[in-house]
Amino acid sequence: MKLIVNGTKTNLSDSLTINELLVEKSVKMPDMVSVEINGKILRRTEFETTTLKENDKVEFLYFMGGGLWG
Amino acid sequence: MKADTLAIHGGFADDRETGSTAVPIHQTVSYAYRTAQELADVFDGKAPGYIYTRIANPTTTALEARLTELEDGIGCIATSSGMAAIASVVMGLVRAGDEIITATGIFGGTVSLFQNTLTRFDVKTILVDAADTEQFAGAVSKKTKLIFIETIGNPRMDVPDISAIAEIAHRANIPLIVDNTVTTPFLIKPGEFGADIIIHSTSKFINGHGTAIGGAIIDTGNYDWAAGPFEDIKKLAQKVGQLAFLAHLRNLIYRDLGGCPAPMNSFLMLQGLETLSGRMNKHCENAKKLAQFLENYPKIEWVNYPGLAGSEFHNRVLKLFKGSGGGLLTFGLGNRQKAFRFIDSVKLAKNMANLGDAKTLVIHPSSTIFHEFSTPEQNKMGVTEEMVRVSVGIEDFEDIRSDFEQAIEKAFKAQK
Repeated sequence: MKLIVNGTKTNLSDSLTINELLVEKSVKMPDMVSVEINGKILRRTEFETTTLKENDKVEFLYFMGGGLWG
Repeated sequence: MKADTLAIHGGFADDRETGSTAVPIHQTVSYAYRTAQELADVFDGKAPGYIYTRIANPTTTALEARLTELEDGIGCIATSSGMAAIASVVMGLVRAGDEIITATGIFGGTVSLFQNTLTRFDVKTILVDAADTEQFAGAVSKKTKLIFIETIGNPRMDVPDISAIAEIAHRANIPLIVDNTVTTPFLIKPGEFGADIIIHSTSKFINGHGTAIGGAIIDTGNYDWAAGPFEDIKKLAQKVGQLAFLAHLRNLIYRDLGGCPAPMNSFLMLQGLETLSGRMNKHCENAKKLAQFLENYPKIEWVNYPGLAGSEFHNRVLKLFKGSGGGLLTFGLGNRQKAFRFIDSVKLAKNMANLGDAKTLVIHPSSTIFHEFSTPEQNKMGVTEEMVRVSVGIEDFEDIRSDFEQAIEKAFKAQK
């Protein structure tokens, strides 16, 4: 399955939930990351229930530093 | 998870290294990195990480995450006070020559910020009657950049039609800012009624014990920053989408103004949130009983509590707050002398400038929190000489009732 993660084309063998993608991509500080799918910020409660679809655009955004965005 | 559970578990799932279930207090100014490159990457935005507690702190991040979940928002910035939250939001949106619309009956500190401080920067504020939705529509001009309301005006106790005012704001392509301090997410999530930004003074019901000053800004995700009239935020939206406004604050306005909370205070707010649901129920229950008691007390001229069946706002209370009228009320004792004598005579209730404490608090607004305003200005804001404001605590109701009864009797005896 093709995705765009932080602007880079990525291939995944399976369809994953957001929580699974955070592990798959070894996302740093996963408790702190905000996840945007196709321009919409997900609620944290949706990380477990949202499954990625073909061609989704995923952005990992951090909300903790000064000038720290993706 | 439901709100009662989120208030206890939201934003923090045990400390991974120590197993601590209470959020650790990260009492630090800054954060060390092993190599120059690592810190450079954090500054460049290539790697996540904390830099400086004025910008972000792990204890405060946990508070922000919990408030985001409770308000069902997309993100939060915690601040050093409710006023710091309002100042950051407003200064992040307006420029010289712009206008703000707000309601007359709101917190005096907010009115002072708008009318005194912001006027110095050529920002004009138009005050309208919160109860009269049409006045908001009539006040909108091309210069208007935001509408600001409170869920229940303090101390006027008027309840605006939030959905209708949100529609007016959105027709003008501007955000609606709603101060949810006196109702908390347990009575209303203003985002469900169209609010774009939610403000809290966390010093009040969220803290609940009068132990720390704090505030919070929550973006509900309702407003499309990519399509608004704010050019700098619009540019940021190209990069970070819906989080553009919070990024604008975090990386510029909030960072530069310096209104960050102390980590210890963020911890105290997290503790407060854990019991907020139960406390709000008791505040509302006691306030309704006290309002009914005062309403039927022959010496009391009037009681203003939106939760009373006879209140002009009763339908809005049902629609917005599921029937709960909140923990604040005002009542009239006939004149200033009787109001003073009442306050001097209460034994259980404390005379102080705060609200939302577990303890019952009373104050004479005209001579204290509104003293800087003239009598005609006070009257417009719903403040009169005879008025006492009560923040009804969570003590046993019979103790509150008997304290008020003996103090009212003393207030009237002293007049003879």
